[in-house]
Amino acid sequence: MQIERICILGGGTAGWMTAAALSHKFKGLPISIRLIESDEIGIVGVGEATLPHIRNFNSALNISEPALMKATEATIKLGIEFRDWGRIGDRYIHPFGDFGPNVNGVPFYQFWLRLRELGDKSRLDDYSLGVMLAEMGRFMSPATDPSRVESTFRYAYQFDATRYARFLRKYSEDNGVVRTEGKVVEAKQNAASGFIESVKLDRGESIEADLFVDCSGFRGLLIEQQLKTGYEDWSQWLPCDRAVAIPCETRGPLMPLTRATARAAGWQWRIPLQHRVGNGYVYCSDYISDDEATQFILDNLEGPALASPNKLRFKTGRRRLSWNKNVVAIGLSSGFLEPLESTSIHLIQEGITELIQLFPDKGFAQSDADEYNRRMALNYERVRDFLLLHYVANQRDDSPLWSHFRNLTLPESLQEKIDAWMTRGYIIKYEFGVFLPPSWIAVMLGQNLRPRGYDPRADAAPREILERNAAAILQAVRVAAQNAPDHAAYIRQIGAASDTAPLVANA
Amino acid sequence: MTPIKRIVICGGGLAAHMTAAALARQLPPTMQITWVNGPDSRDADLFFGGLAPPSAYAFNLSAAVAEPRLIVDTDTTFSWGTQFVDWGADRRSWVQCFHLTLPIVGGVLFHHHLWRQGITELEPFLLPAIAARQGVFAHPVAQGPKLLARSEYGYQFNSYSYKSPFEAAARALRVKIVTADVANIECREGAISSLHLSDGQVLEADLFVDCTGPDARLLSRLGVDVTPGRRLRAAWSHRTVERIGAPCRTLTAREFGWQCDTPLQRSVARLTVYSPEQESEALAAHGEPAQHSGEIMLGRRNVAWTGNCVAIGHAAEILEPLTQAPMLMLQRGIERLLTLIPCSVDMSVERREFNRQSGEDYTHAEIFNRALFEIPLPANTPYWRAAREEPAHEKLAQKIAQFESRGLLVAFDLEPFHNEDWTILHHGVGRRPARFDRMADRIPEAETRAMVGRVPHDIAEFVKTMPAHHDYMQNLIRYLKQKKL
Repeated sequence: MQIERICILGGGTAGWMTAAALSHKFKGLPISIRLIESDEIGIVGVGEATLPHIRNFNSALNISEPALMKATEATIKLGIEFRDWGRIGDRYIHPFGDFGPNVNGVPFYQFWLRLRELGDKSRLDDYSLGVMLAEMGRFMSPATDPSRVESTFRYAYQFDATRYARFLRKYSEDNGVVRTEGKVVEAKQNAASGFIESVKLDRGESIEADLFVDCSGFRGLLIEQQLKTGYEDWSQWLPCDRAVAIPCETRGPLMPLTRATARAAGWQWRIPLQHRVGNGYVYCSDYISDDEATQFILDNLEGPALASPNKLRFKTGRRRLSWNKNVVAIGLSSGFLEPLESTSIHLIQEGITELIQLFPDKGFAQSDADEYNRRMALNYERVRDFLLLHYVANQRDDSPLWSHFRNLTLPESLQEKIDAWMTRGYIIKYEFGVFLPPSWIAVMLGQNLRPRGYDPRADAAPREILERNAAAILQAVRVAAQNAPDHAAYIRQIGAASDTAPLVANA
Repeated sequence: MTPIKRIVICGGGLAAHMTAAALARQLPPTMQITWVNGPDSRDADLFFGGLAPPSAYAFNLSAAVAEPRLIVDTDTTFSWGTQFVDWGADRRSWVQCFHLTLPIVGGVLFHHHLWRQGITELEPFLLPAIAARQGVFAHPVAQGPKLLARSEYGYQFNSYSYKSPFEAAARALRVKIVTADVANIECREGAISSLHLSDGQVLEADLFVDCTGPDARLLSRLGVDVTPGRRLRAAWSHRTVERIGAPCRTLTAREFGWQCDTPLQRSVARLTVYSPEQESEALAAHGEPAQHSGEIMLGRRNVAWTGNCVAIGHAAEILEPLTQAPMLMLQRGIERLLTLIPCSVDMSVERREFNRQSGEDYTHAEIFNRALFEIPLPANTPYWRAAREEPAHEKLAQKIAQFESRGLLVAFDLEPFHNEDWTILHHGVGRRPARFDRMADRIPEAETRAMVGRVPHDIAEFVKTMPAHHDYMQNLIRYLKQKKL
């Protein structure tokens, strides 16, 4: 028996991304999709910066890039700039892209490690077109021919998540999704199976469905409040539990970069959009009060604030099961990881993609839920380890938060990764998980984890040849970066400028 | 930090040959490689099964053995895979061929469209399978005919001949080759301190690579045990033929085990693998006097690397040569060693990671073979009973459950066998999913019907234009000899 009715609870980023994807994928099939949201319940919209995978999501939905960028005040994101993470005064970029080509199966950075030992002063960043473009504030569309240096980077967006949800709402409604205004006050469970049969709204209407997608945010209206699924608390590793967000006017040139600056009790984000800059302070309430944190962010804005501070509370972790009975939790209802690497929207996307792959029928085979939960657990855990790396690889001693991290016992999976890196610059790879080796390399090197050795195969070629090859790559990257247009000019050139505010503002 | 300076490789079989050449080709000149080329392990090498996977091309090249050398200097032939015959109680027959990703149509895996049309056989949609049955071959090239471009090929070989170019490569690449046997192994604190050879030489090294075959003479000296598995015997012989046979192995299930015929350049090799309890039937069925025979126990060493000694090939793990699994594991073992050649004599990190990867790889390869027995058995004989009774890893149960439920492929990190291998195997043994992906319904029925009708027709027509394996190889060899490649 096929599923006929899907009910999505919540109309934030998660709810509308789910509605958009399901309505597109199931177009033409006898499946009705309803989405319940209430204008009275605010949306968190934490994720303003994204990962390159979002482009696959949008293109699978046939969404035009300039139209989307224009509607969401989007800018290009080539990576994240981390400031003060290793030591105060440090800065590095985690780009979406490679650091030089492989040579005879050996990654280029191994040769760079050898060159460095020989006294070479070049940065690994200089071999990465993604980093070079980001530093210069330039951008071009990546080439598709893998032999060209212009193909060695990827990009994502920085956008207004609320506008993205609005954009997808229109898209979903055009695809036949029915939006119902209201608040869920009650859910009816089948006495025998415990499956959710219907939800009742504050206005009295009752909505039945075969499958419920819980996008209700932190509360987890069905997955937690109704089904008592349970939450795996990860705050022993990632103790930040609050955030205060506030937009402000832009100052200076429009950079294709998100910035994350380590602070005494957490870290501060800066996300440049076309019309404003998104700012926020993620902190641990053990080390700073809410008032102090709010004052801190207000004191650290580059331009006048454009709204009052928005305060958020959270507990890092993951729902024990993302899929329980006939409820699938997507987004914050399924887990929370701080937006240090812009993974919130990505985890929504993964949740949707896996749901489509494992889409159930009315029989709700347990094997489908098990496989879904296995895949999502892996996704969350691997992101968690990557986030934790940023915190533990620090050399700061200016505040108790950073000392706490330096003395932390790490999950074994992460400790082994760090050991392998420190011994010889070896990256323990996996296939399923969002962050590929170049990301790990960028963060480990960026936070001063210098390997003691390198792959002996990097010694196979004579020094002169190695130096000549390295110089050629440097030159190719530099030329390619210099030929790219300015970021703001690029946005205008492809017709993606919203023109609600000047793309480049002056103080 | 004391760097590694001396590496000693021990063994005279296929694993040692491939390891010596690959290490010599890729490691820096500062590392001195000595190869104790001892007694050949020809009998155990039967258990590599004479089938190399598509990745062999690149592997061999990275060991300085280019395909033309292999074709001209050995009796190796091309292979589209293995044709299984009479497999299971239902006597199924299919070609377990090599294939790149099958097309995804409308966001849905190819096989769902077939099921929607009630088609349960995948083979007519696989060019290499049809080409294997017709005995034809041509190199797939990315820029060449589109139908052929998704095919992949491996090699069929006789290990004794296949290994020779690796020795030549190792010799040319400065490996010091000592022809002697290991007489005594001296150990200290869980590591090997020196090898005493039959010719009186004493060898010390920073790293010892044990390629001595199933006995794992070095590793077992350090106290590493095997997890016991099934015992199997093999008989091997070859008979000369005029024409090169089909580019695939033909593997037929028998009550005592199975029999596999592998066409080579001048002969057809026959390998009979059986349970020791049914030796007389097996040898009678083999039909020719066995030129070589061997006995092994399937399974793996508890760790592949201990102290300063790392095992490669049968010394680390032994898989049944039903599929390309044994050669896949051998190649991957060598590649893994190359990426983890220690950068100092403290090799604890490299060892731990090598053992982790090697354990996962073994599990993933083993469940592929094991999946061949998750079927109604053809006979209640010792071979089939023992194969089925061997406990299967839970990952296999997950893979089968998802495929049977909805045709979904469950995959784990960096598996040696790809989704296509699994798709072909599931179809081959006759596994049927209970439902297909609903999104397949979005494509108009007539369109799907036209597609599933057209593809087998196009493939069959294309295969008719391909040259016989024999002719293709003869022309290629002549060309290569003329060009002196």
